[in-house]
Order: sequence, then structure tokens, then C-alpha cells
Amino acid sequence: MINRFSRLFALSVCLLMPSVVMADDAPAKVAEVDFTHDMVPILRARCGKCHTNGVAKGDFAMDTKASFLKSDAISAGKAAESELIERIKSNEKEFKMPPEGPRLSAKEVATLTSWINQGVPWEPSFSFRQSTYEPPLKPRKVTLPVAQAGFEHPIDRIVKSYWDQNKLSPPPVVDDLAFVRRVYMDLVGLLPPSVEVERFQSDSDPNKRALLVRRLLDDRPAYADHWLSFWNDLLRNDYKGTGFIDGGRRPISRWLYQSLLDNKPYDTFVHELISPTKESDGFVYGIQWRGRVNASQVRELQFAQNVGQVFFGANLKCASCHDSFVDQWKLDDAYGLAAIVADKPLEINRCDNPTGRMAQARFLFPELGSIDPKASKEERLRQTADLVVHPDNGRFRRTIVNRIWLKMFGHGLVHPVDAMGTPPWSADLLDYLANYLVDQRHDLKALTAHIATSRAYQSACSPHSENVAVEDYKFIGPELKRLTAEQFIDALWTITGTSPEKPVAPVTQVSVAQDSPTKGPKVRASLMDCDALQRSLGRPNREQVVTQRGELLTTLQALDLANGQRVSDLLKTGAAKILADHKGQPIEKIIDKLFEGALSRLPKPAERGTAREILTDKPTPDTVADLIWVVVMLPEFQLVR
Amino acid sequence: MSLFEQEIERLLSRRGLLKTASAASLAAMLGTGSPSLMAAPDKIKPLKPTADSVILLWMGGGMASPDTFDPKRYEPFSIGLPANKILSTFPAINTAVDNIKITKGLENVASVMDKASLIRSHVVADLGNILHSRHQYHWHTGYIPPQTVAAPHIGSWISRLLGPINPAIPAFINIGQRLEGNGEQEELKAFTTAGFLGSEYGPFNLPFPADAVSAVQPPKGMSSQRYESRQRALKAMIKESPLGDVASDYHQQSMLRSIDNAHRLLSSKDRDAFDLTKEPKASYDAYNTGHFGQGCLLARRLVESGARFIEVTTEYIPFYHWDTHENGHETYARMKNEIDRPIAQLVKDLDAKGLLDRTLIVLASEFSRDMMIEGVPGSTAKDQSRVGTEKMEKMAQYGLHRHFTGSGSVLMFGGGMKRGYLHGETAPERPLVTIKDPVSISDLHATIFTAMGISPATMFETEKRPFYVTVDGKGKAVKDLFAKSPA
Repeated sequence: MINRFSRLFALSVCLLMPSVVMADDAPAKVAEVDFTHDMVPILRARCGKCHTNGVAKGDFAMDTKASFLKSDAISAGKAAESELIERIKSNEKEFKMPPEGPRLSAKEVATLTSWINQGVPWEPSFSFRQSTYEPPLKPRKVTLPVAQAGFEHPIDRIVKSYWDQNKLSPPPVVDDLAFVRRVYMDLVGLLPPSVEVERFQSDSDPNKRALLVRRLLDDRPAYADHWLSFWNDLLRNDYKGTGFIDGGRRPISRWLYQSLLDNKPYDTFVHELISPTKESDGFVYGIQWRGRVNASQVRELQFAQNVGQVFFGANLKCASCHDSFVDQWKLDDAYGLAAIVADKPLEINRCDNPTGRMAQARFLFPELGSIDPKASKEERLRQTADLVVHPDNGRFRRTIVNRIWLKMFGHGLVHPVDAMGTPPWSADLLDYLANYLVDQRHDLKALTAHIATSRAYQSACSPHSENVAVEDYKFIGPELKRLTAEQFIDALWTITGTSPEKPVAPVTQVSVAQDSPTKGPKVRASLMDCDALQRSLGRPNREQVVTQRGELLTTLQALDLANGQRVSDLLKTGAAKILADHKGQPIEKIIDKLFEGALSRLPKPAERGTAREILTDKPTPDTVADLIWVVVMLPEFQLVR
Repeated sequence: MSLFEQEIERLLSRRGLLKTASAASLAAMLGTGSPSLMAAPDKIKPLKPTADSVILLWMGGGMASPDTFDPKRYEPFSIGLPANKILSTFPAINTAVDNIKITKGLENVASVMDKASLIRSHVVADLGNILHSRHQYHWHTGYIPPQTVAAPHIGSWISRLLGPINPAIPAFINIGQRLEGNGEQEELKAFTTAGFLGSEYGPFNLPFPADAVSAVQPPKGMSSQRYESRQRALKAMIKESPLGDVASDYHQQSMLRSIDNAHRLLSSKDRDAFDLTKEPKASYDAYNTGHFGQGCLLARRLVESGARFIEVTTEYIPFYHWDTHENGHETYARMKNEIDRPIAQLVKDLDAKGLLDRTLIVLASEFSRDMMIEGVPGSTAKDQSRVGTEKMEKMAQYGLHRHFTGSGSVLMFGGGMKRGYLHGETAPERPLVTIKDPVSISDLHATIFTAMGISPATMFETEKRPFYVTVDGKGKAVKDLFAKSPA
């Protein structure tokens, strides 16, 4: 074990025995150490055997940055004080590292020294550890831990027990204002109307949060408009795009939108996608590209890849060409799924070369049942759909509850969400939620409500964790989320009272209920084509399945918001409208309305002062536009807390 | 500050400077599911660059090499001329290099051929149905569409790996291509993207070079005074925000940096580089043959100001410009008139300013054209000529109207390439296929990456699988093109 004593010992050794290494030709100074290129090869080759991948000789593991820094032997930023450096320089038999093999070269020592001096830069989320985790297929019953006061919700019982085990203290619960904004954005993608915020804040009903969650989910059009983007990304559906040019792609918009309006049970929903009607067959059909395509990209293999990714978080992209080098999937697994949807016998190609073997229709998890390869394509698809939603198919439920969790918390129970072969941070919670979905007859709204009413969901935001290695991740609450392109544009349309008149999406809309808690734009951005602004703000090309959008505002996006024609036109129109609406009223009214509309609160005195300065005594469309711009550029506006 | 916060701070401050940072650390700046740069340690050591910037001159629509940089037997138009006798519809002209001839209409480029490396053996994949946008996707990303992950444009790779030279000039600038309101716009968008690398590395699109400055100016109708006071008000309001206590948050910090960066772009002195009206008239006129000429001038100004990767296109619009399905000869006369002067001027100016040695200019197209053959010999692809005929009856039939993938020309200047060098050879008679030193897209990209100091085996991990800058990391730089053998 490396301890203080050995450190002292090491120092004395150094004093007594001047290092031979130092006598080498002076090593060149390493300007900026690149972890990936400079460090990984050294660490892996010379230290990996004893200190990574589950082995921790001398109690020293260096799989991740966190575990590396835990050691007393490293003092980040101070190589001179780091025992590690002493040891790699040493020739002392009992002390030197590595204990066997040649000494590190002078250059390697210099690199390590600079690396520690530079604060141990580490490739985000990189770990030396190879995962040995085997994701379960079947559902698993979970025994809930004993409820503690304030943690009675089943989710909280599990989370609290997790926090206890990890010696973490629960974050505070957010106030009503933060809750309202969060739940509006997460459930229906809209800003809360200020009257609703006021009503909610003054409501003394202890059950009011759960009631609001229910009201929002019951707002059918608002819910459908919002979740349409999630599903369009996931099922790569759009209103125009590559492939549509010559009918090589079939939209499923009408079916999808109606399914969301109806809150179709998830098992039925997926069954209809895989064993489709004419309206829902676009997902199975895929994209027929013009010209010749790689064997791994024919429509049949698109089907295999998309079924694997979307419903099981299984990546069959590698296995579409060859047996995967990174996980368990084989070429035959991908072709087994592909053969299901093939109109004629499908020859297996390896890396675009025919193998002479024919694919046999087979489900990804044969232990759940088989598909009759001799049956008609329609029948094969029906059998497949049955196996996908099979009661024993726990993976199917885990995958979707994990996706919903990501949407609400900003980080999955299993993360990234498309790699369900990764260990969850709480298997109990994942399995519990999957079971809950079944208990609720696959009602996704019920699942969403269940999550939204937990204390875990209502906790204060925690720091960003995207780049933490899987084994180092600790759940300490939801993370900040940036508004999506659609949310941002909808919000801007809401504040300025502008929006398109008619949707581009071929869907059948329903009218907004009288008592609807939302007051969004007439037509939502999700129902429009992806214009330059939406594209800039991160709405993806839907040629590939997209399950997570970029979370950070980039420079080019900020530039588009600062000087893009679309934004400035929108601000101009909106400003004129707001000004007309407030004709003859004091400017305070405009300020209040904007703050309440955009931030759900009144301005603080200093903010009011700034707002007044922007507006001037005699507000014009220009000054009003500038105030709107300033407000919507605020991180408070652009981030869901 | 916790260690975690320190780490964030370090990453953010580095990005705030937008300077060339080690690629690995920048991975953290991407959104979720961000790809990470992984080592193929033995292969991936950064190389010593011979160029700092790239200007890609894109001849969108399929530029026929026999009527541009690879002249073959010339047959002037005459009524009754058998189509199969036609190889070139322009006569050859001499260039500044003895053994290199090109075609009439490119006299200015001919005069700077002593500064060029000319590849005549660029062979692109034949993708069955010979479609422009798919081949353009292939050329720009190095990957044949469709792909299961969104493949990045070569400019995005370079932006991701090297970053901008000057923080006030975006690392990847795309000049001259409209992406809205034109044919195949969705297909163009599919490769005009940073793909899985994340939009931070995407193109800064300037579809109208003459109006480029508007992209770095306050919105139309807003004075710079108003713009600045709006920005000041935003700063003040952020400070006054009651949520200031979460200011250290990763999302918020990065958001504020991006807003600052955007502001810097919009207020920097360097934005004059985008403004063609700032160019002396004589020089402006020397370039101004239209859209493309203005694009070349803009590229020169931006490279002088520290741009990293610029694409200037003649613009791909189905059936226009180089995309000749009829009336090829006359269209080519016009196109050559459009590109000839500005390309030569760009080369001369950069050379005179001492920038050509560190700026790699690459002129390329998605495929070539031929009078008779669609695709490659033996291909069953759909005939694209709208005026197919065995004998010339009218001028509209005279031209290379079919898509040909068996050979193509690529012209390179500067950036460490040889001067006055000819690489590869095509058959003297139809089929005009490559007969010596074929250069694939992968190898051409490897050459560009190598010149920029990026190993062609550089790999990113996305969705737990490797994705290389050249397919499978196997692109090989064409060593013969380099004046000094690359490291």
C-alpha cells in the first residue's frame, strides 16, 4: 500500500541514491500532453496489468480519472510531490514502478511528469476497465426498500436507499416556480402561462404538484405536439428530407400523431410499428436510397439496426458488416432480423462481400421464441412484433423507461441510452420502472406522471455529468437541460403571439380543451418543416435514428440567435404586436408581461432598471424587440432548471 | 472549487479562447453522446503539417476532365460529326509547364501551372445510379451514403481536430452553396454538416459571397450602436439575474461563452475580411467573374485573416453549371470563364503574400463526364444525356453529357505540394479510364489530412465503435505529391 511512510521512505531513497534516469540525455519538454495519444499507450502498456480492469495492486486502481486521483501517490498539478514519479524514476527493487521489465524511457518519464503537472488531463468518460456486465433480458421483481419519511414514493424509496449506500445526501426539493417551469417544459414543451403560475403558487393543496402533472398530461394536443419531436427523432420520421425525393421513404406522421393523442399503450404502439398498417409502415420500410448501397445499408438491415437500437438499445451497426468487435452481436444476429422483413431470400454479406450463406429469420433474443422462416413476410413481422412486446422481454421495457428517464433527468439510468449493455446506476430502479410500465398497461403517460411526482424528479439540479465514466457516475438529481429547437421557437412564438397558421405535418389536430393549462402558439414548431433556424438550433436530419440532441449552445447557434434573419424578423413582428397590445399603457406593463411570459416572474428592481433603459421612455418596435431578445438570451430562459 | 469544477473551468477557458487545443480535451465540449477521440496509439501520432489552411474549390455537378484539365483528341463541332469520335470539345493549350496541357478557356490557370500539382487519375466509386448528391456526399465525407451515423464533412473533421487559427474566424466556412430553395437541398444538407462530431464543428454557411459580411454583422436594419447596447444590456441582465448562483454550471458557462464568441465574431475587426467592398477595386475586378469569383476573393481574404478550412463552390444546382446534360460545350465555355481568372488570381495573390506555401488549394468535383459512357464501361446506369444522338445535328448535342467515374482531374496548389507536377495518366482513347497511379477519394483525403498534420488513421469512437477520418483508417497520402516527403 502506498502511504505516507513509503513517501518519506521514497524521499530518503532519492536523497541517498541519485537517480540514474536523470543522468540520461535531457528529455525534451512536452508542451501539452495529449491524454489519448501520449498517456493511454504508456499507462496501458506499463501500468495496466496491475492497476486497471479490476486489478488494484497496492490498492491503486487507475481505471478512471477519479480512481487515479484517489491515490496518495499522485498530487495533481505537482509532479514533484507525486510519489508515482519517484517510483518510475527509481531503481530500488522494492520501490520502483513498474516492478518488472525495462525502466520507462526518459521521454516517457517527462511525459508523465508534464501530464501530472498539467493537472492530469483525462479523456472525458474514458475508462481502462472493460465491461463484463451482462444485461438481463427478463423482467425482475424488485423489493422496495423501507420507506423513510419524505421518501415514500416508490422511486424515492429506491433512490434514497441508493443515496444512503453511496453516502450521499438528498438534494433539496425545488420551489414551486422552478417546478412549474420544469414540468411544463418536460411534459408538454411549453412555457407556463403566467396565470397558471400564479394560481399554482397560491394554491395550498398539498397534492397540487401531482394534480398539475395530471392536468398537463391530460392536455392531449400539447402532449402530442411535444412528444412528436422525440418520436420523430427516434423513428426518423419527417415531412421532407432525403429519400422523400422519389418516394423512397414513407412518412408515418398521421399515425404517429394520432397515437400520441390517444396515448396508445406502448406495447400496442410498437406492435403496430413492426407489424404495420399502411399508415405506420414507414418505420419498417426504411429508406430506399437511389443507386447501389453497401450491403449493410439495404432496407432489410436498416430494419435490423433500427429495431435493435430503438427498442432494445442494442447497436447492430457493427454486426451488419461483421461479428462485432465491441459487443456480443454477431453478423447472423443482424441478418436474422433482416431476413424477417426480406421480400426474397437474403444472402449474408460480410463487409460488403457475399458469403454464399442465406440469412435465416430469427429474433434477436431467441430464448423468447422463434419466428417461422417459412411464413409470409406479414406473418413473420407479426411474430416478431409479438416477441418484441413479449411479457418476458424485460429489455424492451427497460429501454423505453430509460429513454423517458433521460428526457426528464438529462442523464439515463443506463447511459448512453442506446447502449443498454451498460450497467445501470440502479438496476432496482430500472427494473422497478419497467415493471411499473407493465402494471400500468404500458401507459407512457402514467409512467411519466409517476416519475414527475417523485421527489427525485423534483430535486434541485445537479452538476453536469456527461463526461463521467460509467462506474464513477453518481445520481444526485436531475441535470439542467437546454431548450430544444422546437421548445425555443415555440416559446418565442408564445411570447410574441406569433406562429404559423397551418401545420406542414399531415396530421389531424384536435382543438384545445377549455380548461387546458397550456397556452402555446397556434401551430407548434414540431409540426413544421425543419427550417434554417430549427436546423441551426439542433433539430436533426432524420436520416439516422437520433436519441439525444446536443446539449450545449454552440457559437454558431449563438450567432444565429444574435443576427440571424429568422430570429430578427420574428422579434420585429412580435415587438410590433406587443406594442400594439399595450397602446396607451405604461411601459412597466410591457416589462412585466415579458418577464412573466418568458421567465414566469416579475423583474427584480435592477432588472427592471435595465429593461427600462432598453425600452426607453417611448418604446418603439426596435426597443421592444431588443428587450425580448435580451430576455430570451438569458440562461434562465434557455435552460430548464 | 471542486476538482470537477476545476476541470470544467479548464475546458471552458480553453474553448473560450477557441485556440487550437489538443483534440481530446475538446470532446468534453460536445453535447451528450459525444464522440471521443480514441487512440490507435501506434498509428495516430500527429504529423508535422505542411499546410495550415485548406481552400477547397468545388466544381459541383461533375466537371468533365477532357474539357478542362485533361485534354484528349479535339473534334470541333460539325453537322454530321459522329458522337463517338468526340473525346474533347475544346482544343488543348500550353501551360507554364512543358509536359502539361489543359484546355482552351483556362489560359490564366495555365499561366500558374508551374505552381500546381495536377492529378489526372482521381477515381471515384461508381455508386450504380450516378447521382450527384450521393457522390458529393462521398467526396466530402469520405464515406459512401447512407451511413448509420451521420458522417462529418472533411471541413468538420479539420475544424474538430485543429480548431480555428484565428478565434474570430470560424474554422470551417462554406461559401457559395444555397441550402434552401434549390433542388436536392436535403441531400446537400446531409453532408454539409459536422455529423456526429456535433454542431460546434459544423459549417459557417455563406451562400452569397457578395453578402457574406451580413453573416457577421448585426441583423439588417440594426445599427452597430444599437447592437452594442443590446449586448451590454444582456450582460447587465445576466449579472442581475437572481439565478446568478448557478453561474458555475457547465451548461450555463458554455452558453455564455458561446454568446461571447458570437459577439466577438460580430464585433471583431477581423470581420472586415468578410466584406468584399473593402477590397481595392482593381483587385475586386480581377476576381469578379460572378458568384464563384467573389467566393475566391472572399476565401483569400479569410485565409489572410486566419481561416482554417474554406470551401468555395461553383454551386451545385441540378442541371446547371457543370451539371451539363445538354449543351455542354457552350456551358463549359461559360464555366471556364467563371473559374479561370479568379483561381489564377487566388494562387498569385497567396503566393505574393507568402501564404501559398501554407495554404493547400484543392480543386475537385464529384466525377467527370464523357460523351458516350455513363458511369464506367459496362455500367447499366440510366443514360443522363438529354440529347443523346449518334451524329451531331445541333450545338446542344455537342458536349460531355454523361457522368463518368473512371477518371477525373484534381488540381492542387501550395500547402507543401510539388510545383509544376503531373500525377497519373488516363487512356488516350475511350474509355478514358485511369491507366497510371489511381488516386481514390480516401487517398486524396489522406493527402489533405497529412498535409494538415492529421494522421489518416485518426479515429473517433462514437456509439462505441470506431469512426476514422478516412475509411477504416486506411487512406494513404499520395507521397509523390509532396515537395518534401511528409513526416
